[in-house]
Amino acid sequence: MNKLTYFPGCSAHGTSEEFDHTLKLVMKTLDVQMEEIPDWNCCGATSAHVMTENLALALPMRNLVLAEKLENKTMGIACASCYSRMKVTKKHLDEHPDLAHKINTTIIDEGEYKGDIDVKSMLQYCFEEIGPEVIKSKVTKPLTGLKVACYYGCLLTRPKDVTHFDSPEYPMSMDILMEALGAKAMEFDFKTECCGASFSISNTDVVESLSGKILEVAKESGAHMIVVACPLCQSNLDMRQPDIERHTGQKFALPVMYFTQLMALAFGFPEKELKLPKHIVPVQEALSHIGEIEPTPEKVKKTKKAVEAESEVE
Amino acid sequence: MARVGVFVCFCGANIADFIDVPAVVEEAKKVKEVKVSVLYKYMCSDPGQQMIRDAIIQNRLTSVVVAACSPRMHEKTFRKALSDAGMNPYLLEVANIREHSSWVHQKDKKAATEKANDLIRMAIAKSIANEQLHEISVPVTKRALVIGGGIAGIQAALDIADARIPVTLVEKSPSIGGRMAQLDETFPTLDCSQCILTPKMVDVASHPYIELIPYAEVIELDGYVGNYKAKIKKKASYVNFDTCTGCGACTQKCPVKVPNEFNMNIDKRKAIYTPFPQAVPNKPVIDAEHCTMLLKGKCGICAKVCEKGSIDYKMVDEVIEREIGAVVVATGYDLWDPKPYEEYGVGRYKDIITSLEFERMVSASGPTNGVPLRPSDGKVPKNVVFIKCIGSRDEAKGIEYCSKICCMYTAKHAILLHHKVHDSHAYIFYMDIRAAGKGYEEFVKRAQVETAATYLRGRVSKIYKKGDKLMVRGEDAQIGQVVEVEADLVVLATAVIAPHENPALARLLGISYDKYGYLSEAHPKLRPVETAKAGIFLAGCTQAPKDIPDTVAQASACAAKVCGLFAGDTLKKDPMISTISNEFCSGCLNCVKVCPYQAIVTEEIPLGHGSKELRTVAKINEGVCQGCGSCVAICRSMAISLAGFTDPQIINEIVAI
Amino acid sequence: MITLGLQDQNTFLEAVNKKSGANVLECYQCGKCVSTCPVSGYMDFPPREIMQMIKLGLKEETMMANSMWFCLTCSACSGRCPREIDIPAVMEAIRHLAIEENYRSDNKKVKEIRKFHDIFLDMVKRYGRNYELRMMAEFNIRTRNLFKDMHLAPKALLKGKITIGHESTKSAKAIQKMYKLAGKLEKGEK
Repeated sequence: MNKLTYFPGCSAHGTSEEFDHTLKLVMKTLDVQMEEIPDWNCCGATSAHVMTENLALALPMRNLVLAEKLENKTMGIACASCYSRMKVTKKHLDEHPDLAHKINTTIIDEGEYKGDIDVKSMLQYCFEEIGPEVIKSKVTKPLTGLKVACYYGCLLTRPKDVTHFDSPEYPMSMDILMEALGAKAMEFDFKTECCGASFSISNTDVVESLSGKILEVAKESGAHMIVVACPLCQSNLDMRQPDIERHTGQKFALPVMYFTQLMALAFGFPEKELKLPKHIVPVQEALSHIGEIEPTPEKVKKTKKAVEAESEVE
Repeated sequence: MARVGVFVCFCGANIADFIDVPAVVEEAKKVKEVKVSVLYKYMCSDPGQQMIRDAIIQNRLTSVVVAACSPRMHEKTFRKALSDAGMNPYLLEVANIREHSSWVHQKDKKAATEKANDLIRMAIAKSIANEQLHEISVPVTKRALVIGGGIAGIQAALDIADARIPVTLVEKSPSIGGRMAQLDETFPTLDCSQCILTPKMVDVASHPYIELIPYAEVIELDGYVGNYKAKIKKKASYVNFDTCTGCGACTQKCPVKVPNEFNMNIDKRKAIYTPFPQAVPNKPVIDAEHCTMLLKGKCGICAKVCEKGSIDYKMVDEVIEREIGAVVVATGYDLWDPKPYEEYGVGRYKDIITSLEFERMVSASGPTNGVPLRPSDGKVPKNVVFIKCIGSRDEAKGIEYCSKICCMYTAKHAILLHHKVHDSHAYIFYMDIRAAGKGYEEFVKRAQVETAATYLRGRVSKIYKKGDKLMVRGEDAQIGQVVEVEADLVVLATAVIAPHENPALARLLGISYDKYGYLSEAHPKLRPVETAKAGIFLAGCTQAPKDIPDTVAQASACAAKVCGLFAGDTLKKDPMISTISNEFCSGCLNCVKVCPYQAIVTEEIPLGHGSKELRTVAKINEGVCQGCGSCVAICRSMAISLAGFTDPQIINEIVAI
Repeated sequence: MITLGLQDQNTFLEAVNKKSGANVLECYQCGKCVSTCPVSGYMDFPPREIMQMIKLGLKEETMMANSMWFCLTCSACSGRCPREIDIPAVMEAIRHLAIEENYRSDNKKVKEIRKFHDIFLDMVKRYGRNYELRMMAEFNIRTRNLFKDMHLAPKALLKGKITIGHESTKSAKAIQKMYKLAGKLEKGEK
């Protein structure tokens, strides 16, 4: 039994309840015991660092201090924004011990900051600590036939010197996990383009434009759905999709699911556990592709065909 | 009693602005041995030198101190002044009060002046202990070794050989010609590269003074200027070049196909091959990594079809030796692998190619018969996006420097694209257009006006796929807008980088290289073709990225240097070398270990006077010793002395401060 | 037209460099950030121009720009910058300078963005955590745009996408104290 300190983030009890719920299910299957940080608070994303300097560090720091009191030394974070804030803060504090001490002693009551905890996103935890092989071994209902576009967003892999995880431009970890479940991960160029993030409320037109472009390229990839690991990305791509369709005249019908929902499905949990009705874009049609057998691709070697033909003539 | 003259230079304002020169002159006068102490604006000028010459004679000086710039700059000048006045030139000492004081202490004139005083006092004290020294003469082997058979090596070899000096030209691939042989037309005149290069290649092969050794590498270099010994490994070609007529029957019949590196792997060659039709020598070699006969003992078709019986599967590598007097290194360049540009999908998209791949395609003799084709579907592209500075000027992914030639060859590619595909359009993303060279700006104008290539100022940030097109996104800073070009083909102008074998070669030759792997010249401005090691010269891109005209000019300069070196029958060498006293040498041979030039050998001498028993002592090879002093420092019995830096000289210096 | 040579070029540049830890002088204006930035099209001065403005010492113009308010800190620009300049840190630095020195843009969008962040921080102060629907509603009330996104609300509510209620947390009290202390600290630093 592995233990993991868990930071759910504010959205876990609201918009991304299905993420939190399925995450807990699959972690149980994978023999990981999650221990939620008692009395955790909002990490401040995304407003604290926009408006303040000290508070931006203090809010995540309080959570780090609380987490350090627990036995386990790895913290898993569901939300990508929380993950980023926590990781950026930790890096900054560790690089500036004087600043860390100042904030620790003047703002935070909960005890001493030691900096001895490892922070990982849940995607990173699944990929690095558990690994695709173990995940594959738990699959009872392979997702064969399902084509997915894995969307990582900005913060899971960027900035590189903060996350130290996967590629900031063309990451593959989620793709590999999806392939382990039996699904087909499509070539998708907008894996790490921004969806508009917190402009969801204040600048809806920006979100519609950015998310619209992501949906367009995902559709082009031939995927049946988009898979995400971030609640904000999910809500921007899913909740805003009908508006985007209406404003652009394009039809996407691309459901947006959390990678943990698909893991739960492949691990054999009943569909009702996935909390599918929470999705604005209906999921059923996409899921109906599971079990489809792909026609074997024609063995046409188009590459450099003409080139070779000409050189043969010679 | 010593009689020292001190000559302090203003160096215009370089020294005088930051050091109180008159005070320094007065300070020097306080040393009792100083008989004359004067100042002058430019001591290195003719009147300045005359001042020194006159003072030597009038004051019967026994040594001279010049307080001026670095001895690297003008030591020779002042030594000559001493000689002209009938004085031994090694009685000169230079106090470097410019680099060591005025330039580095510009904010504190008082401290700079004090330091100058110290430096001059030291030089005076040292000069008092100076002894008369005489140049050493060493014999010279009049044969040059040229490493690399690209245009730089070819030009250097031809120019040296035309002076009737024998040249050994070593090329690692089966044919000379190098990168230039891969080019289609050349900027800014659009001469056909093959047409201007091939005659030179043929000249090399037929020149009575050139020994061409293809498919070979230099593996060892011993000795010193004028007297080097090189070991050259001739790789097994499995073809007897003496009997082979180059008929081509073997290549035609060989059943094994291998990606063709000459054509940037766009098409295939055979396992027995000549790299290209105009190859020199025009003899095939067997690629041992792919030949099934050599790998598995099956096939043997080439031997069967060869009428001359030239195929020899049992051939092995051979090491030969050459005695030479000078080396020209011309190993050329590599191109940077653009894989780190993940945001462009490099490696995922077939229709993103490099400039050299494009060059091979537009070449009339290339794999697509001169027509650019999309690798994905073989279609002729209409919209072609060229992206400059791929890896160049990019510290994050590639290298910091500008590769110098990409602006020009990209303009050329735009023009060539238009020649080959009339209804095409070239889009060029650039940061700056660097077209400094004769006829270069005019050439870029031709691309912009006649060809109507669209120049967009900005670095591309992203390439993604849309249907069978590639969407190329970048800012056009001129209109302050982000633009996307719908492209059929994307061509990356990848950076010029130093050949990856340069560091190993540099170590083998005993010369230095920079952080990028380029071989280092002795002085960036005044000695751009010499290395710090006497008798080794640099030509072409092995020293830094450059275009063909510059490469050829540097190669000819190398030839002039080699000819100059070989002009007399002996070489003169500075006498600042070590000597070992047999009496004190204990034979520990630590000096042999620390000597970076392998200049110390061993010698057996009688144990005592008239004794028949022998003992081993160390001995300096005068020709090789560079006077670095490492042996002096390591010698526990103080048996080694370095002329010009003897213990009394150094002790005098120390006592003076 | 801007006449150069009148501004104090160094003071502003040094302030930005110090606060951000980046060196704006390294920017060589390649524009890769501009076409990378997902929101550069909404900025009155995209990142490349902001960098140049800082170099020129155009403090007023920079402080009144909307650019730093649009920056989402997605770090795409710095990840692709050939000179590895931490552009988001520069954006953050000029944003914080604008707040500290009380520059207030009249731009409607900037006002809305600032309002959003104020509400957000206020919410965290009150509850220790953040609740989306309250957030959305308060934003709409305070920007006098009551009916924005109302068409989404019933559907989202119905589907349990967003919740009305909020948990009361123990942390709320601790957080309120932190706000107070952080405020004090910031005042003390000035």
